[in-house]
Amino acid sequence: MIELEQITKQYPGQVMPAVDKLFLSIPKGEICVLVGPSGCGKSTILRMINRMIEPTSGIVKINGEDVTRTDPDQLRMGIGYVIQQIGLLPHRTIAENIAIVPRLYKWPKEKIKKRVDELIVMMGLDLEKTRGKYPSQLSGGQMQRVGVARAMAVDPPIMLMDEPFGAVDPIARTHLQDELLRLQKEIKKTIVFVTHDINEAIKMGDRIAIFNAGKLVQFGTPEEILTNPINEFVEDFIGRDRVVKKLNLYLAGDAMEPIGCVVKEIELQNAAQKMKDAGVEVAFLINEAGKACGQITTSDVEEFGKDIEGLRKRVLRTEKAFVQTTTPFPDALSLLLEYDADYLGILKGEELCGMLSFKGIRKHVYRKEDE
Amino acid sequence: MTLSDFISFLMKNTKTIMEYSENHFTLVLLAVGISLAIWVPVGLLLTKSDKWAARVLALANTIFCIPSLSMFAILVTIPMFGLGRKSALFALVLYAMMPLIRSVYDGVKNVDRNVIEAAQGMGMSTRRILVEILVPLGMPIIFAGFRITVVMTTGIAAIATYIGERNLGRFIQEGLVRSNTPMMVTGALIISVIAIGLDTILGLIEKRIVPKGLRISR
Repeated sequence: MIELEQITKQYPGQVMPAVDKLFLSIPKGEICVLVGPSGCGKSTILRMINRMIEPTSGIVKINGEDVTRTDPDQLRMGIGYVIQQIGLLPHRTIAENIAIVPRLYKWPKEKIKKRVDELIVMMGLDLEKTRGKYPSQLSGGQMQRVGVARAMAVDPPIMLMDEPFGAVDPIARTHLQDELLRLQKEIKKTIVFVTHDINEAIKMGDRIAIFNAGKLVQFGTPEEILTNPINEFVEDFIGRDRVVKKLNLYLAGDAMEPIGCVVKEIELQNAAQKMKDAGVEVAFLINEAGKACGQITTSDVEEFGKDIEGLRKRVLRTEKAFVQTTTPFPDALSLLLEYDADYLGILKGEELCGMLSFKGIRKHVYRKEDE
Repeated sequence: MTLSDFISFLMKNTKTIMEYSENHFTLVLLAVGISLAIWVPVGLLLTKSDKWAARVLALANTIFCIPSLSMFAILVTIPMFGLGRKSALFALVLYAMMPLIRSVYDGVKNVDRNVIEAAQGMGMSTRRILVEILVPLGMPIIFAGFRITVVMTTGIAAIATYIGERNLGRFIQEGLVRSNTPMMVTGALIISVIAIGLDTILGLIEKRIVPKGLRISR
């Protein structure tokens, strides 16, 4: 746990303090995102945790202990640090770069090599090809993977990340974000993550701290902040589409409804009757292999009547109108709009396990908004 | 002058040539050695303070502007130095100040701030950062300055003959006075060969000493 107690940072020659009497308590094992417009003091706060900057007044505590009691180099060796510009040593190979902190800890060579290999693989890089390369031979995304691997080398409980994915292209950024989230599920580190991008904050943060002009404006879970922005600044900062942004917080599985009726492809002619018996508006079709392959709505049945071939064609048009339980709401919504449908089947792996409706999404978001 | 005049001069004066060359070499070596020992640390120190860097670099520049003959003339009038090796060494070390300090300062200052920041953030000590990052990464610029210093020192050392150094410069000086062309050419040629030879050798060393990662591009 990291606690900032009445931290103030006043740079010489500036009227306003960069950080003003800040209290912030960052829980263990969570990603806490510091977000705000540029110049709001978020990077300064991050850098005061590992004493790259010393506060003018106030105390930073890690697990209850004042950080100024530890020698700065010792302190930093125990905290992972990732910056936007990465800062790989250009004259060292990738393996040597990752080995920097283990070497500072004087690990035996064998142990270092094992750990380095493990990290290269963990970061999704090709072990044999990457190990002996120099930083200039990698792409921006690959370099930042190495940057993250280097910060995690000695498995520090705390990681500080200053706009770590700010300089990589959008596709690589999404990958890196997803991978960090996936890793975090296993490694459970206390991560302090600085960004100016509210979308990244919502995606990455277990908790978000919004800053403006050196002051903490709001601190809470993404859901709390999107639901109840505390003032106009936060409202503006998160944007008018805050409820749409909130969709990112939910997965298709969250609003899953049971399926009322499943029809086998060979029994398509009985679909109308089956649906009527079950009293449902939608049924899902399963092919001979047991794989979900489309949806039938009551309006389809009415439109085609006895024309089974026409109905089959219509049904197969929605062959891809399925999502996984882990698909986020925005992707599901996009599919609903693409197929002009009211329902989507939800799969768990290959298996059909429920459905998601437009109404369900609305209700889910509304209920959360209400809370 | 014919080629045979020149060759016969070489044959007759082998002993003197060897002596002068040796003197020349030792003077250059000593001057460069002392210069490195003094100016490299000073250059490194200056990277800590922009204010002092500006002052010292301005001073070095001024010294560098003084013509070498004037410099030697001034030095011999100072009782502490007088005629001979002391004055010669002192002048050469002063001339080396500008290229060495400048290149060390620029080399280290040119190292990517982000690399240093990342290294600090990982807990590398100031000393480690200096030895493992600043010096190797500044090496291309530092070494370029070193090469210039060596070549320049070789040339200026020849002029020290006017204050009593018995080195290859003496062939040129006396050759001029006596209108002895073979003597003049011998001096000029050997000095040039030494300068070019040293620079070539240093060029080869530079290739080895510049970190591999800096030479590779995608």
